[in-house]
Amino acid sequence: MNIVVQTISTFFLYAVGAVFAQNAVFSRSLGVSRLVKMVGEASSDNLLFCGLLCLVQVISAPLAWMANRWILTPLSFRAAVRPLVLVLCSAAALGIVIVVCSALRRPSTSRVAQLLPMATFNCAVIGCLLVTTIQNFTLVQTLGFAVGSGAGYTLAVLAVTEGQRKLQARAVPAVFRGLPVTLLYIGILALAIYGFTGHTAAF
Amino acid sequence: MAMWAKRIVHLNENFVAISRRDRVFLNNPVVMNGVGLAPLVIAATTGLNALMLSVAVLLMITPTRVLSALVCRWVRFRALVYCLSAAVVYIGAYYCMQAWFSVEVTYLGMYLPLLVVEPIVIRRYEQPAPEKISSALKKGLLNTAGYVLVILLVGMLRELLAQGALFGQPLFDGSILPLSQLAAGGFIVVGVLCAVWRGAVNLVKKRVNMEAKKYQ
Repeated sequence: MNIVVQTISTFFLYAVGAVFAQNAVFSRSLGVSRLVKMVGEASSDNLLFCGLLCLVQVISAPLAWMANRWILTPLSFRAAVRPLVLVLCSAAALGIVIVVCSALRRPSTSRVAQLLPMATFNCAVIGCLLVTTIQNFTLVQTLGFAVGSGAGYTLAVLAVTEGQRKLQARAVPAVFRGLPVTLLYIGILALAIYGFTGHTAAF
Repeated sequence: MAMWAKRIVHLNENFVAISRRDRVFLNNPVVMNGVGLAPLVIAATTGLNALMLSVAVLLMITPTRVLSALVCRWVRFRALVYCLSAAVVYIGAYYCMQAWFSVEVTYLGMYLPLLVVEPIVIRRYEQPAPEKISSALKKGLLNTAGYVLVILLVGMLRELLAQGALFGQPLFDGSILPLSQLAAGGFIVVGVLCAVWRGAVNLVKKRVNMEAKKYQ
C-alpha cells in the first residue's frame, strides 16, 4: 500500500513540477517556434495539435525510458547517438498514433495526419525525452514528467492565445505587432512563473 | 549615377522577390518567421555560448538539408527523413564540437542535441514539393548565415547587459540588466531585437521607395 501511495505521489509531483516550475515553454523555451506560429495563425486546430503532442509524448516517454535503460546506458558514445534513438522512439509513437487513428476512422483523420508529424518531431516532445533520459528518471518519474510537460505546453498555448487578443490592439506600436510583442508577452509570463516558483530576479 | 539609379529602381520594383531570397537581413528566419528560438532564448546567454551554438548550427543546417534532399528522392515520409538526417549529422557535429570546445560544450546542455528537431534545421519537410540539392545547399547556407548573425548578436548583447563583459572580458563594472540571463530575459531581449530589426527593414523599404521615386 505504501509503495502505491509513494508511486502515485511521485507521479503527481513530477507532473505538477512539469506543468508549472519546469514548464516546457516558460522555463525551457521548448516548442516556442511552433507556438508562436500557431497563435499567429489563430487556427482552430491548436487544441487538436496540443492533444496529439500530449499523446505522442506520453507514448514515446516509456519507449525512451526503455531505450535509455537498455540501449543508451551501456554505450560509451551515448551522448552522440541519444538524439537518433529519441527520434526513433517518437517515430514509433507516431506509428502507434497513426494505427489508432486509422482504426477509429473519424472524419478529422486527414487533419490529424497533417498535424501529426509537426506534433511528433517537435522540440517540446524531444526536449522532454532529453530531460528524462539525461537525468535518468525512473519509469514513474518519466511518465509523470511527460504528462505534465504535455499539459504545461497546452496551458502555455492557451495562455498565449488568450493574450493574443489584447496584443492585437492598436495601442501596440506597429514594429512590435506580431512576433515581437508575442515574445515580450511570453517573457513576462515566464517571469511570473519564475517568481511563482519562489525565485526572485535581480533587475 | 545612372547605374545607382537603375539599381534603386530595380530594387524597388522587385523588393518582395529580393526580400524573400535574402535570409540574412530582409527575411531573416528568426526575426521574420520566429524559428530557432529555443537555443537562442535559453542557451545563447554569453558570447562563448553563442559562438559554440553558431559552430553547431554551421555544422548542422546545410548538411542536414542537403542529405535530406538527397534521401527524399527515394523515401516518401519526409518528416522522419529530415529528423533522422539531422540526428545522423549531429553525431559528426557532436565529435567536432567536443574536439574544438572540450568541456565548454556542456554549457549548452540539452540545446545542442535539441538542434536535431529545431524548426530552422528541419522545417523544409512541411513544404509539399521536394527540394533540389543545389537549392538545399544555397538555402541552407543562407539560413545558416542569418541564424548565426542573430545568435551572435543575442549572445553578445545578453552578456553585455547581464555581466558588462564580452567573451569573458569585462568592459565595465556592474550589470545593466541581470534579468537578461534568465529565460524570461531571453524572450524579452529577442522580442525587442526583433522589433528593432523589423523597424530597420521597414526604414530600408521606405528609403528605397523614396529614392526610386526620385529617379522615375
